[in-house]
Amino acid sequence: MPAQTQTATLADAIDIGFLDLAKSEFFITPGGFTGLRYKGAEHKRVSLRRALPIGSPGSYISVADHENKEIGIIKSIDALTGKQLEIVTAELGHRYYCPEISEIKSVKDKLGYVYMELTVIVDGKKHAKNCAVKDVNRNIRMLDSDRLIIFDVDGNRYLIHSLEALDKKSLKRLEPYLF
Amino acid sequence: MKTHIPSYMLDAFGAQGIDTGKLIYAIHTDLTSSGAGADVYTAVDDRAMYVLCGVEKVTRMDGARRIVALYEAMSLETYPLSELGELKSERLLSTGRLCGVQEDGDAKLLLVFSVGCLTFVERLIKAVNNIKEGRDPLFEVPVDDRLFCPKCGARYPEPDRKICPKCLDQIGITRRLMRFFGDYKARVALIIAVMLLGTVFSVLSPYIGTRLLLDEVLTEGGGYYGLVGAIVLVILAVRAIGVALQILYGYVLAKTVPWIVYDLKLKIFEAMQRLSVSFYTSKRTGALMNRVNNDANSIYWFFVDGMPYLVVNLFTFTGVILLMCILNFRLAIASLIIVPATIGLFRILWGVFRRFHHKDWVYRSQLNSMVSDSISGQRVIKAYAREDEESGRFSGVSGKQAGIDIRANNVGFTAFPLIYLLMFAGQVIVTVMGSMMVLRGEITLGTMLTFVAYLTMLYGPLEFMSWVSNWWARCVDAAQRVFEIIDAKPDVDEPESPVILSELKGDIEVRDAWFEYDPATPVLRGLSLTVEAGKMLGVAGKTGAGKSTLANLIARLYDVTGGAVEIDGVNVKKLSLAQLRGSVGIVSQDIYLFIGTIADNIRYAKPDSGIEDVIRAAKAASAHDFIMNLPDGYETRVGAGGQDLSGGEKQRLSIARTIIQNPKILILDEATAAMDTETEAAIQASLAKLQSGRTTISIAHRLSTLRDADSLAVIGEGKVVEIGTHAELMAKKGEYHKLYSIQMEGLKVINMDA
Repeated sequence: MPAQTQTATLADAIDIGFLDLAKSEFFITPGGFTGLRYKGAEHKRVSLRRALPIGSPGSYISVADHENKEIGIIKSIDALTGKQLEIVTAELGHRYYCPEISEIKSVKDKLGYVYMELTVIVDGKKHAKNCAVKDVNRNIRMLDSDRLIIFDVDGNRYLIHSLEALDKKSLKRLEPYLF
Repeated sequence: MKTHIPSYMLDAFGAQGIDTGKLIYAIHTDLTSSGAGADVYTAVDDRAMYVLCGVEKVTRMDGARRIVALYEAMSLETYPLSELGELKSERLLSTGRLCGVQEDGDAKLLLVFSVGCLTFVERLIKAVNNIKEGRDPLFEVPVDDRLFCPKCGARYPEPDRKICPKCLDQIGITRRLMRFFGDYKARVALIIAVMLLGTVFSVLSPYIGTRLLLDEVLTEGGGYYGLVGAIVLVILAVRAIGVALQILYGYVLAKTVPWIVYDLKLKIFEAMQRLSVSFYTSKRTGALMNRVNNDANSIYWFFVDGMPYLVVNLFTFTGVILLMCILNFRLAIASLIIVPATIGLFRILWGVFRRFHHKDWVYRSQLNSMVSDSISGQRVIKAYAREDEESGRFSGVSGKQAGIDIRANNVGFTAFPLIYLLMFAGQVIVTVMGSMMVLRGEITLGTMLTFVAYLTMLYGPLEFMSWVSNWWARCVDAAQRVFEIIDAKPDVDEPESPVILSELKGDIEVRDAWFEYDPATPVLRGLSLTVEAGKMLGVAGKTGAGKSTLANLIARLYDVTGGAVEIDGVNVKKLSLAQLRGSVGIVSQDIYLFIGTIADNIRYAKPDSGIEDVIRAAKAASAHDFIMNLPDGYETRVGAGGQDLSGGEKQRLSIARTIIQNPKILILDEATAAMDTETEAAIQASLAKLQSGRTTISIAHRLSTLRDADSLAVIGEGKVVEIGTHAELMAKKGEYHKLYSIQMEGLKVINMDA
């Protein structure tokens, strides 16, 4: 009878390459960039990217060096604390800069452009912001049943965390563009 | 010396003790270096760069609609130009960074900004580099004061196009659209005259059919008492003339408008042929096809349906009200009471319907995409047994669309009868008030019934006027998109006085070429190489190294953003485009076959080629044998809806197409990548014969195909990493040696397995 061989699982065959957080130390370089000391090597500039920026922004963060070569993946930023968490959160905040919309003051549809007067929250402060959105079907997008993202003509992103929590007037102004 | 400092920044810099008279260039960005929202002014003079961080207080002055900014400064950083290093911009996801990179690689973060400011930061870098290199600071730096609409203060959605959709002159666009009627003035005049005359007859119809008949013919003492036969003849004549005018109007309109739309479509299509490749890569194909077809059709229907009905309804409305006022002013005013309410209700209702239609349109688009996805992806769907899931997805969206249709129908079926009821109330008012006036002898029965008839004639114009503005806006919207293409300037344009070489030899020099498809993501970073006329250069490198970009730049499908590409010592930007494109033949990885026969596709570049040349080219490209196996041979129809060909077969046709063009410079961009080894060898042999006397640039992953090249260049990170002959590069044991060895090892493994 031929010997039975066990099929290797994907996890056996491929190492996902999680970063060993006990051996890593994020730091800010004198030039103002985020760096990483890891297993004896010092990377002066690293970039952080979310694998699931919409569904799970705090999990599976890829850390790559300046040549864009992945050093490792942070499974969850919840495992970071203190200064380390602060640096990683700030770096992600830079890359995924996305002011939150707290109010939609007016929406005007003119010749293929939708002009919006918004109140956005940046660093806990409210700012007035005007933006123009082209091709609304692509650029006003539901992320899930309650969250919405808007991309303006400049490539800026604005997020509504909860449509349910938005005031009624704002929601009514936005309603024709929700799908 | 030319400078560019927006006036509102001068006071802010002056308040910091900076000599504003020396400032050369300044930009405005929107984030602090920690990523917080701010108004950051960055200026340079010949000595330093100043980054002023603060907050603008913006006030809109009434009347003048001007924006005045008061600036509250928070911090100022000064960076001497001599210590800045090389300025580089980096694009993150929705933000960008400006860094100063020193020679040892150490970098300093200078600015953080939202991605919308990237264009301005790129301009700042150019200005700083110009100052450092002693050039005019604004050399090749676009200076643009007008980023905001002077009328409403809103920022232009696209800075390169000074169009503010908020303030766009809709009348101006309509006027421009009307110019398309210029060649058909006589017919347009005839259409309007016939329409107006037709309206006169339709407005007179109730007057003759009701008032004259009742008051003058059937009433004793009337002017035409008893002349029933005559009045019937008059009524018939009025109707018949009305119908005749309608036929004439339809006939002239049908003969005129399609030609106007033909002109319009042709103009769009011609403009699209003129535009550069970059225009197409930045737009979705579907959106462009919409512009040629749907937008032109929107304009067509507006002119066929909208404009004539607008004139007819306006004329009918005015004529009817005028006649009502003449018949009895008091009754006329009473019957018009319901008009504002009716128009208001119709407008609200059309607003609701517009939202329904928009949602319906989105769901329909989604369903179309799903059908198209499902047809193209049937193999994958079946291979992974996902049929039920695909049906479920379709059912979900289709259900939502059905829900919207039901809601729209419910609203329509409820609201319209209610509005018509309101209109009927107008008739009731006229009937009650008119009857009392008849009883009092103030008006005749005929006048009252004429009033009621006229009131029904107002329904159509009222309904029309409530939604014509939306229709007009849609037409202007479509026209604007169409004019956008007609007015677009190609990035790659024919020079004003093009150089035409008497004989193009084929010397190529690429000097310090820089190029980027997207801002701040350079593909070529100072690439330099030369190829002598008649020689062959092999180009190797990893995917994304910039090899195909090099081919695009030599054929001038794109223009370099820095450096130069020269052919026979002349910058390609100065060469005649017709001569350049006729002299450069590219066999690329992107193969496109147009709808037509195989023979037509082969002789695409030289339509006057005889069939023998076509067969010769096909033989040289090893395409002849497979073509002869097709039932219709060289007359087999290919392209959309035609005979299916494999990737290798298509590529061979593409090679044949280039062979027949007989170009002086031949660029083979992975020309034989999709073929089996035997076919590849046959084509290589044909190409080798064809290469004699031509400059050839051969781009390939399989380095074995490049061994016979006169020289080889390895490209990496947008630069030439190594250049030399095969033997030289192998001896050098550098990047080429590494790539070659890996491929040879791979082949050995395959041979061992075999």
